Amino acid sequence: MKDTIVCRCEEVTLQELEETARKYNSSARELKLLTRAGMGFCGGRTCRQAVDKVLTDITGEDPTNELPLKVAPPVRPLSLTDLGGLAKDE
Amino acid sequence: MQQLDVVIIGAGPAGLAAAIQCRENDLDVVVLDEFPKVGGRLLGQLHQEPSGEWWNGIEESKALQTKAESLNTDIRLGYSVYHIEKLEKQFVVHTKQQKFVTNNVLIATGAAESPAPIPGWTLPGVMSIGAAQVMTNVHRVKVGEKGIVVGVNVLSAAIARELQLAGVDLHSMALPTRNVVSEDQANPRLVMERLSRIAHLAPSKFIQFGSRFAKWKWVQDLVVQYYPKNGIKMWGMPIYLNKAIKQINGTDKVESVTMVDVTMHGDIIGNSEEEIPVDFVCIAGGLYPLAELAGVVGCPFIYSEELGGHVPVHNEKMETPVAGIYVAGNITGIESSKVAREQGKVAGLAIVIKEKNTSEITGKLQTAISEVKATRDAASIQFHPHIPEGRAKVSAAYDDLVKAQEVEKELEYV
Ligand SMILES: Cc1cc2nc3c(=O)[nH]c(=O)nc-3n(C[C@H](O)[C@H](O)[C@H](O)COP(=O)(O)OP(=O)(O)OC[C@H]3O[C@@H](n4cnc5c(N)ncnc54)[C@H](O)[C@@H]3O)c2cc1C
Ligand code: FES
Repeated sequence: MKDTIVCRCEEVTLQELEETARKYNSSARELKLLTRAGMGFCGGRTCRQAVDKVLTDITGEDPTNELPLKVAPPVRPLSLTDLGGLAKDE
Repeated sequence: MQQLDVVIIGAGPAGLAAAIQCRENDLDVVVLDEFPKVGGRLLGQLHQEPSGEWWNGIEESKALQTKAESLNTDIRLGYSVYHIEKLEKQFVVHTKQQKFVTNNVLIATGAAESPAPIPGWTLPGVMSIGAAQVMTNVHRVKVGEKGIVVGVNVLSAAIARELQLAGVDLHSMALPTRNVVSEDQANPRLVMERLSRIAHLAPSKFIQFGSRFAKWKWVQDLVVQYYPKNGIKMWGMPIYLNKAIKQINGTDKVESVTMVDVTMHGDIIGNSEEEIPVDFVCIAGGLYPLAELAGVVGCPFIYSEELGGHVPVHNEKMETPVAGIYVAGNITGIESSKVAREQGKVAGLAIVIKEKNTSEITGKLQTAISEVKATRDAASIQFHPHIPEGRAKVSAAYDDLVKAQEVEKELEYV
């Protein structure tokens, strides 16, 4: 059977997440940093729910009231020019 | 720099309804939406109510837009908000084009679709059910010649019907096979329970039979156990709760799917593989509140399965514990567009009361709050059977937080 890709941007598979978790006995946050799942171009908009679910399942950490991995701005892809504050103020 | 009373993020039913209230009371408002059209998710919607009446989202959206425009509402399309910065008393809303300084922000960003990853889902020709809806009803593009829907829920059933009405050929609707992500959607028993909520949309004796006994779990077990081999037909299209899609096949694009039989618990039955030729696949993994911006500006969250995931804590007036930040619509929980519209009205009125420091319209606000509840109770589309329980949880969390904040303040004085 073919692999199941969970994070499309970074092409991280379910199998890869499971193996990495087993090998390093990592927390949800560490697993994201190790595999880059959820850290691609779309900022996790596509895979966030799936990645969180896999992480909860593998690490046994409950879906707490906190957002699983904190959201940080910018929440949309942005060029460096725009980020540099060259956008004009109203 | 112009100082605004309120920036509304999202021009869906919630955002527009709020904008109308604010403009009627002369507030300085800017509405921002990243989509090129006004209306949010309303644009794709087309379904028949139990009363026989049609719900046409495009017309509903036009009505709201016309009203907002008659009040000279400043609506900016193609503006993506990527950050909300908190100053001492105000906020800066960041977009590529411009920054906006404002006293209040209403986040009405709606919902996003959850993925249901299955092998082969990155092939061209695989799309989310919502994408199929937008292509069909908004852009008028035919998504393919013959397709299949993976994931059976309220949303996918409604959209499958819309695709059918548009003349798109669907083989059937089936479940995804089980993995850690799609556990719930791969469980026939759970799917049946949730589906019973749209029974009136389904002219099928079988589902109606199940839904009438929704409270008697054993009857639903029977329905699932004796599920007809050829599926239950809704509008002539088979819906399988006893078959699942194991993988999507193709070299450069979708060519077929592999379908297997599953037990009432969602376990694959051996030797049941069947290859079905299709050229597109719609994946329906459900919806979750799109709350990134509330997270960025520091709103506390609460997890509620009933409401579709993590939602910003808020009260009945749609205020969050971050003074000046309001939320309305699907960001507060997945519900029908009518509920979103009523919530928007509440948020708009609450903002007016705060900005004008007036109690003249408190009566109007109370009426609007009761309208939200009445609309919820009467909704023909319910995304989860226990929405009111989820709502109660959120309100309780708000009260707790505010009490804690008060105690903190008192301690500071001591
Ligand atoms: C695919 C899909 C199909 C649906 N089908 C139905 C249906 O058939 N019937 C039904 O009753 N309900 C349906 N719903 C539920 C639907 O979300 C509500 O009915 C209603 O549209 C919610 O209104 P809203 O105003 O909260 O959000 P929306 O209508 O979703 O509007 C939110 C708006 O915010 C904008 N936005 C989001 N983030 C940003 C940002 N960072 N910057 C700028 N703009 C932003 C979006 O572009 C969007 O226009 C559907 C939802 C989805 C996702
Ligand atoms: S799909 Fe994972 S970051 Fe985009």
